Amino acid sequence: MRTIPGPLFFRLSDALDLPVFFKGMEKSFTFQAQPVRKETLDWFDTFDWKAWSRKSAIVRSGSRLAILDMKSGHELCGAPVRKRPRSFFPNDIDDKKTASRLLGISKLRAFILYGSVETETRKWRILDENRKTVASIELLSLPGKKDGKRQLFMKLSPVRGYGKELETVAGHLKQYPDHSEKITCLDYHKEILTAAGITPASYSSKPSVKLKPGDTIQDSARKLLLPTLGVLYANEKWISKNIDTEFLHDYRVAVRRTRSILAQLKGIFPPEELSRYKKVFRELGKRTGNLRDLDVYLLQADRFRNLLPGTMRDSLDTFFTDLGNRHKKELKSLNRYLGSEKHTRLMREWEAFLRSEMPSDPDITPKAGTKTSDVAVSTIRKAWKKVIRHGREISGTATDTERHTMRIECKKLRYLLEFYASILPAKNLQTVVRQLKTLQDNLGTFVDLSVQQGYLNNYLSRLEPGADNISSAASIGGLVTALYHERENVRMNFHNTFDTFDTPETEALFNELLNKHR
Amino acid sequence: MKTIALYSIKGGVGKTASAVNLAYLSSLGEPPTLICDLDPQGASSFYFRIVPNKKYSSRKFLKGNKKIYDNIKGTDYENLDLLPSDFSYRNLDIELLEEKKPQKKLRKNIQELSTEYPFIFFDCPPNLTLLSESVFVASDIVLVPLIPTTLSLRTFDQLVGFFKESRLDTSKIRGFFTMYERRKAMHREIIEEYSGKKRFLKRIIPYNSEVEKMGIYRAPLNAVRPHAPASMAYQELWEELRGEIKQ
Repeated sequence: MRTIPGPLFFRLSDALDLPVFFKGMEKSFTFQAQPVRKETLDWFDTFDWKAWSRKSAIVRSGSRLAILDMKSGHELCGAPVRKRPRSFFPNDIDDKKTASRLLGISKLRAFILYGSVETETRKWRILDENRKTVASIELLSLPGKKDGKRQLFMKLSPVRGYGKELETVAGHLKQYPDHSEKITCLDYHKEILTAAGITPASYSSKPSVKLKPGDTIQDSARKLLLPTLGVLYANEKWISKNIDTEFLHDYRVAVRRTRSILAQLKGIFPPEELSRYKKVFRELGKRTGNLRDLDVYLLQADRFRNLLPGTMRDSLDTFFTDLGNRHKKELKSLNRYLGSEKHTRLMREWEAFLRSEMPSDPDITPKAGTKTSDVAVSTIRKAWKKVIRHGREISGTATDTERHTMRIECKKLRYLLEFYASILPAKNLQTVVRQLKTLQDNLGTFVDLSVQQGYLNNYLSRLEPGADNISSAASIGGLVTALYHERENVRMNFHNTFDTFDTPETEALFNELLNKHR
Repeated sequence: MKTIALYSIKGGVGKTASAVNLAYLSSLGEPPTLICDLDPQGASSFYFRIVPNKKYSSRKFLKGNKKIYDNIKGTDYENLDLLPSDFSYRNLDIELLEEKKPQKKLRKNIQELSTEYPFIFFDCPPNLTLLSESVFVASDIVLVPLIPTTLSLRTFDQLVGFFKESRLDTSKIRGFFTMYERRKAMHREIIEEYSGKKRFLKRIIPYNSEVEKMGIYRAPLNAVRPHAPASMAYQELWEELRGEIKQ
């Protein structure tokens, strides 16, 4: 499919005299003014800027939500929305095309209202001698950045098949170089975002940290830990709003990453602090665990229902209502903790500790001066060997705990690879991480399915005997069976998956990766 | 993609008015919509004030996809585009004869547009020629406007007969009545007998002088006079047709 030219954008100075500009243009054109439009543009994106990273803008104006391609200016799709939502999920949108596009941007994250801007648009249709519209001019005025002066932008929109006419108008604008500056469509949207007080891409769950191989590991560890704390701070205030499950998920990942770094820091950070903060983050991991489990069950509600025959599905309602109630309780208790003075103080102390000058006493921190690359190589090698060794030991009948341990080891290796990504060769790293991810997926699914069966069995054992609970019990029983079969399939696949990771090729890749800093 | 041809052997039955109004309604509900003006008289192009590019001709049309794509023009309505006809279209039949499989030509030529337009309308010239056959093959629905008169019905029967002889799918044919005048007994009788029967849609477009004024408005009647009786009837007709297509 060939592309149709999109609109052109210009930044204008308010000194541009429009009537003069119109008069100076070709005689065959007439300009037909349209009613002035005042509107509020509401900008939506996921918390981690998924739409922005695809150069898509999700904008609501009036009662319509549209997805725009910020590179071309084309509207990709649009749907009616009744109220002004603070946040929404793709499935809340009635229009199928829009909903599926939103799902393509993010399956789990909600789209949240990032900001709004008041705009005023004056529009003219440009007509040819047949009074056919051949292009349109829109003048958009935005609230000024500092001095309160409004900023002016021109959007010159083509009508299909009238490219030459558009060029003529754009060419005419070139005669006013002091008053007009051509900008890209993306810049135009950035200006609107700035006017709405929004800084795009201001959050990433995996902040990229550039390490230097020769830096001391103590410095590098702090460089890694501070942005991870940033992720904790960023998500903390959103968890309580219960908008989507990923705030808690990212929070937990950041906690695990912190713990994973701390685990490598023996002799690098002072032992007293090290053991104190290890405890702090272990505690945070524990406190968030239950809520995350409940999130996972609730996210899978539809999948669970579909595992059962139609007649048994409704009996799961009580189970999910029960889960919902537990979720509320857990959320409340976590919020209480996250809002507590104790937690706030601990986090502040942790931050101060990371920013403070650390003692260079060889008795307290004998390994603080080790080169980052040396630690990277040795810890990654150790973690990788551990995964291989453990993986080879896992038999078809290995217990859930063994697989759980293996999963944790894979996670550790993954984090290490990610921490030191900036000093490792990108291409090799990518391949290794991809292979590791497949292995992690297998183990993750296995452990999740086991935990879920355990949870359901536990729920079942607590159901009071009696006629009221018979159908519920039957459905839960059915679900346990279905999950059991799924888990057994995953179990059987483990060896295939592991075998593709445990190959001479992957070993060569690892060696190449680690030999860089020999 | 669904392709709908507005076709009648007889002239002056409301083909162009129907094509323009239905395409406009389609562009509101399932954007974007394309209307292909196949009539060398270029009436639908005229209604939208569109003149084809100077170099555009029937030869380019027969080359298909890219050549067609490059000559599509936007109407004044956001999601409605038009492929204008050129006076050279009067030679389309002769030129089609030179093609290998003339009947399948149109279908092949618009293939590439299918990803962009959920609905394409053909505004056809009033005759039964090779081009018409090519349109019949390319269309999912052949929509036939009929004035409720015996002569109109006769041409409708001729069309069905032609479909059968040529082994074309007669289920594509959908007739509907236009320019209905209640005060005329013949109109009333014919409507009573045929409306909603096999191959006929239920909705009827009444005679409305506003339709003739489309030449002055140079716009779809549904866009400028949405409450005119004919506009409302077109709206209902489109809904009926949409319902059938969905089924």
